[in-house]
Amino acid sequence: MAELTIGMIALSSALAIAGSAIAAAWAEKAIGVAAIGAMAEKEELFGKGLILTVIPETLVIFGLVIAILILGLAG
Amino acid sequence: MLRPYEMSSVIMTGPNKFQEDVIKELHKLRILHIVEHSKTDLADIGNPLENANKLSETIVKVRSLITALNIKKGENKFELKRDLPEIYETTKRLNEGVSKNSDELKKIEGLISKNQAIKHELEIFKNIDIPLEDLASYSSLVYFTGYMGESKVMALKEDLSKITKKFMLLEDAVKKRSFIVLFVDVESKEHASNILQKLSFSPVNFTGIGNFKGTASSNLGKIEKENTKLENQRDNIKKQIEKLGQEHKDFLICAEEFLSQELEKAEAPLKFAATKNAFLIKGWVPTGQLRSAINRLNKTSKNKLFIHSEPAKEADNVPVKLKNQNYAKPFEFFMNLYTLPNYKEIDPTFFVFLTFPLLFGFMLGDFGYGLVTLILFMMLKKRMPKAKNFFSILIFASLATMFFGLLFGEFFGYEEIAGFHLPHILSRSHQINELLYLAIAIGAAHINLGLIIGFVNELKSHGFMKALCAKGGWIVLEIGIALLALSYFKIIALPIYIGVVFFLLSLFMLLKGEGIKGLIELPGIFSNTLSYARLMAIGLSSVKLAEVINESAAEMFHGGGFLILAGVLILVIGHILNIGIGMLGSFLHSLRLHYVEFFTKFFQGGAEKYKAFGEKQ
Repeated sequence: MAELTIGMIALSSALAIAGSAIAAAWAEKAIGVAAIGAMAEKEELFGKGLILTVIPETLVIFGLVIAILILGLAG
Repeated sequence: MLRPYEMSSVIMTGPNKFQEDVIKELHKLRILHIVEHSKTDLADIGNPLENANKLSETIVKVRSLITALNIKKGENKFELKRDLPEIYETTKRLNEGVSKNSDELKKIEGLISKNQAIKHELEIFKNIDIPLEDLASYSSLVYFTGYMGESKVMALKEDLSKITKKFMLLEDAVKKRSFIVLFVDVESKEHASNILQKLSFSPVNFTGIGNFKGTASSNLGKIEKENTKLENQRDNIKKQIEKLGQEHKDFLICAEEFLSQELEKAEAPLKFAATKNAFLIKGWVPTGQLRSAINRLNKTSKNKLFIHSEPAKEADNVPVKLKNQNYAKPFEFFMNLYTLPNYKEIDPTFFVFLTFPLLFGFMLGDFGYGLVTLILFMMLKKRMPKAKNFFSILIFASLATMFFGLLFGEFFGYEEIAGFHLPHILSRSHQINELLYLAIAIGAAHINLGLIIGFVNELKSHGFMKALCAKGGWIVLEIGIALLALSYFKIIALPIYIGVVFFLLSLFMLLKGEGIKGLIELPGIFSNTLSYARLMAIGLSSVKLAEVINESAAEMFHGGGFLILAGVLILVIGHILNIGIGMLGSFLHSLRLHYVEFFTKFFQGGAEKYKAFGEKQ
């Protein structure tokens, strides 16, 4: 029974990472495409494009923090 | 450091007859950032100098020659006679030579491709034994040419013989398909074409071989011979063009450079304001060089030039030339990549110089990796002087990586070498929670540094109260939240309401300092701080990958024999890959932490870059 609980905890923390990673990737995909489009028109937008593209990355970090907190439950 | 070069705005005006001399002097001085005049009722823009047309015509020719002759720009020591008529003459002659050759080349290439099309058609007919002139138009006969399935040819014969005896079928089987030529009596045309359609016949039309006589195979040899001759001719012309390119390479590169400088001078009046008899130039000059520049201009114009200068004012749109010590200069690269700070703002280059390598090193943090990248970038910096700044940044980053490698006690992922345990202050692979807290603490420090710089910026531009509310508010908020959390978890013995008071005070300050926007962005400061958890995440993934590589190599070593070789391969390739991934990740994430988390606390940017008239691009 204890092993099952540990397994569930591991699985939930994996889910936290996986979900947030997919979400971030999805968001970055859309922004990245638009940023490349803008850069093709005006090259100086690289800096701004980079920033906008990486903003959703924070989602994964949140996922990671949650995952670590969940793992903390397992002790 | 921290501030860009001080600028003065300059206005100079004088009679037209000195215009050319003044332009030449300014071009030599390389200190004036010209502000372009746009046409108003009072003054139009100036007319380009006389030789501008001829110059731009020639430079277009020179550039097209550079492209046509496939010349790569590079260093050369060619001494160009700075004599315009001679350059015009040489360019014209060269242009005629090259265009004659390339016209010829185009013609021959056209013939070659036409011949290739014919050759392709002839090859289809290769095994059909009829003279090609037989494929003419007849009044009593029709013929079909095309492909059909090999198995269907028999059926075709049978079906045709049912309707008429007057037909002739020639076939050539190619890979399960047959090429057929079918002659039929004109009366059975309809029937034949119906049958063919039923048997999924796909017709082929021949356009290139109408005028040929004799069998296809005899013609094929002739065409091939002709093509070889043409190809030889083509190669000769190409060689000639290449030779021309080699001979005149240096001349063209130098001429292009010289002409573009002359053209810049000739077109300069387009940026000036002009009346019938006078011109007026507006621009910016670094204050330090102002005196000597004015003296030299006065000398050139025999004191006929009126020059007025004054220091930059608050509302002016001043072009920015960053001023940093040599060690921090490479980091201006990041500012150019993003946007330059405004004239009155603090230039963050120095802070980026301090923190970028630290964050980078914290993430990669392996002595061995740092050593490898240090050597690599030292070599690359020598090889590619153009990307010097970029590699200097990476060299600083590598040094920081080595430093953190020592702190973490890591050498290519190993924490002990030959039984000797490397000393460490924090072990990244075992003290994950401590690493996380440390990362977030670094984040809090970094963000507060940003807030303090923001405070100084606001103090200069909007006064103490605004600075205190807009930037200090965030710090009070952090204190409030920290107190709340600490007293809630009973880590310190303080009543909860003290934290609440700080929290409410910060809300009030932010509302006053930044308006509703400040309140909306309230959670932002926490996600910003939390974002620094990536320092731990990226570092951890790099360490774990290195450990996996080392462990799988160790297993191979235990196997002995050939497996030792495999183990060495795993080590080398694995660590190269891991260094690559680690570099990319550490660089981008460190950059992101600066651009997104750090800069948003104080930086506005958007200034125009200072570009002196006459400066090489």
